[in-house]
Amino acid sequence: MRTGRTVPTLTPAMIAIWLAFATVPLWIEKVGLYQYLGVEILIFATYALAYNLVLGHSGLPSFGHGAFFGLGAYGFGLAQLNLVPDLWFCLAAAVVVASVGGALVAAFISHRRGIYYSLLTIAFGQVFWFIAIKSHAITGGEDGLLKIARLPARFGVATFDLTHNISLFYFVLAIFVVVSLLLWRLVHSPFGRILKAIKQNETRARFVGYDVWRFKAAVLVLSAGLSGLAGGLFAMAQSSAFPDVMSLHYSGYIVMMTLVGGGLVTFWGPVLGAIVFLLARDVIGAVTTGWMLWFGLLFVALVIHKPEGLGGMFIRPARPAPADAKK
Amino acid sequence: MSIVGLLPHLVNGLALGLLFALLALGFMLILGLMEQINLAHGSLFALGAYFAHAIATPRLPLPPDMLQVWAQVPLGWRFTAAMFLAPVLVAPFGVILERLMRRTYGRDPLYGLLLTFGAAMVIEELIRIAWGTRDYMLPVPRGISGGFLMLDLIWSTYRFWAAGFAVIAMAVVWLVIERTRFGALVKAGAHDSEIVQALGHNLEKLRVWVFVLGTVMAAVAGVILAPIWGIRPHMGVDAVIPAFVIIVLGGVGSFWGAVLGGLLVGMVVGLSGAYASEWSMLSMYLLLILIVTFRSRGLFGKKSVLEA
Repeated sequence: MRTGRTVPTLTPAMIAIWLAFATVPLWIEKVGLYQYLGVEILIFATYALAYNLVLGHSGLPSFGHGAFFGLGAYGFGLAQLNLVPDLWFCLAAAVVVASVGGALVAAFISHRRGIYYSLLTIAFGQVFWFIAIKSHAITGGEDGLLKIARLPARFGVATFDLTHNISLFYFVLAIFVVVSLLLWRLVHSPFGRILKAIKQNETRARFVGYDVWRFKAAVLVLSAGLSGLAGGLFAMAQSSAFPDVMSLHYSGYIVMMTLVGGGLVTFWGPVLGAIVFLLARDVIGAVTTGWMLWFGLLFVALVIHKPEGLGGMFIRPARPAPADAKK
Repeated sequence: MSIVGLLPHLVNGLALGLLFALLALGFMLILGLMEQINLAHGSLFALGAYFAHAIATPRLPLPPDMLQVWAQVPLGWRFTAAMFLAPVLVAPFGVILERLMRRTYGRDPLYGLLLTFGAAMVIEELIRIAWGTRDYMLPVPRGISGGFLMLDLIWSTYRFWAAGFAVIAMAVVWLVIERTRFGALVKAGAHDSEIVQALGHNLEKLRVWVFVLGTVMAAVAGVILAPIWGIRPHMGVDAVIPAFVIIVLGGVGSFWGAVLGGLLVGMVVGLSGAYASEWSMLSMYLLLILIVTFRSRGLFGKKSVLEA
């Protein structure tokens, strides 16, 4: 630890990022973009931070995280349409459904390592995606789950209407603040240190006496639950839930966002990655039809020349990049 | 359903299994001999199908009069030409990909996987730009198309031909790997690269050839499967997933594991198709999860760097 024994709960960088996001609705339309993009960026930033708990902080290369995001989206939508149309209940349902999905996957894969871990997460991701497409009666199949309402946020005395993109933006920002604070505390807690140990050398962590698989399972469930929360917000923002987000493509996009931003070396990297990815989609997409071609080339170049991502250009790693060495 | 009722599903499953094994073979070569996960395998497979379509239908970028002459050639010859030429045209993409991947050798295999994921996106987008998003069908020569009656059932003739082509292609790969000097060197290089280099062999060159062989196999599978599965931009993703399921199931680095894995997946998909055709593709993931839960390295897998 560079800063001694403990890391402060609030850091200047953290507050600066939150404040910078808070100003977004004031100027985003003036630069030619639109309010909904801000909502989308915040949701994916939350998702990417949750994903990075697995990839960057624990070194577990999950390639099927879209499943948890999608489970959250469907959990939110189905809870609203079939149970109670209350925002807090539906968001809780999103988290619970995704966590249960995460626990199921974790039960099978927590003893696996490296590429086998990736391959099995791909397989599970495909299973969830396939079920979502084929269960027409429950999920609406490829047509998706439609008519999901943007429910009002009730805080006891006051109630906020979230149907407008700006009010939804501030609501999502509030959740982003809570999630990022929670994750910051978590990765700098004793639990987070054990995750770091597992990332650096799983065998050694086991020899020290930790039940490594329990930690790997716990971190996957946590990450899945928070990804589900982001998925629930996405369902609300889009007013619908589709199986697309569970596909291999989308699971790959979240890995790309996290890596492009520098999730392997910095805590805030995934946020930068989400911003870059969605901005690239809109800006390159406005100029040419094949935006994926250019982003794909950029990504390939980055993997070859700067595997630590954009974040790695600004931040000097505390010690020489350990993830690179062949174990 | 009686045994006789299941027979067509069993036979179709077997034929499908051979095709799946063919599909997985190129993926297995690169993974087993180079320890690199080539997620662009499906995109190379798709490129093979598109090139074959361009050669056979004919839609080549040639002067009109030459194209006219080519169109007069019987479809049987054009199809044969497509089967041999399309993989040759796809091979340079493999060379470029290998060149890009060189930087990731010796690092965490995750980087190779990510790089090829990016490359797959690029190739898929290039296909969309060059051919649009519409579906194409690769025409099959009359002699091997259509169907025939057997046991009061209609069977697709081409499926059996395709399964036969798959067996031939797999036999060629087996001969190259097990019965030639090149195969011996490549296997030795995968086992202990330092010694092979110390003996004075150019390992870099060998790796290019292995990658090209894997690429060519992907393209060959693309040509053979195109008349059955159709040609569309996302066919690459649809193909790479079964390929990796088969490899993990069969065991990384094992030729017979890939063949057995392909047959198993084909049979399971074929048989589950008899009961719930909508859900048949799900069965292969469940099979994978079942097998890998009990045998963590698949059926014939050995310990490898991929578990790091």
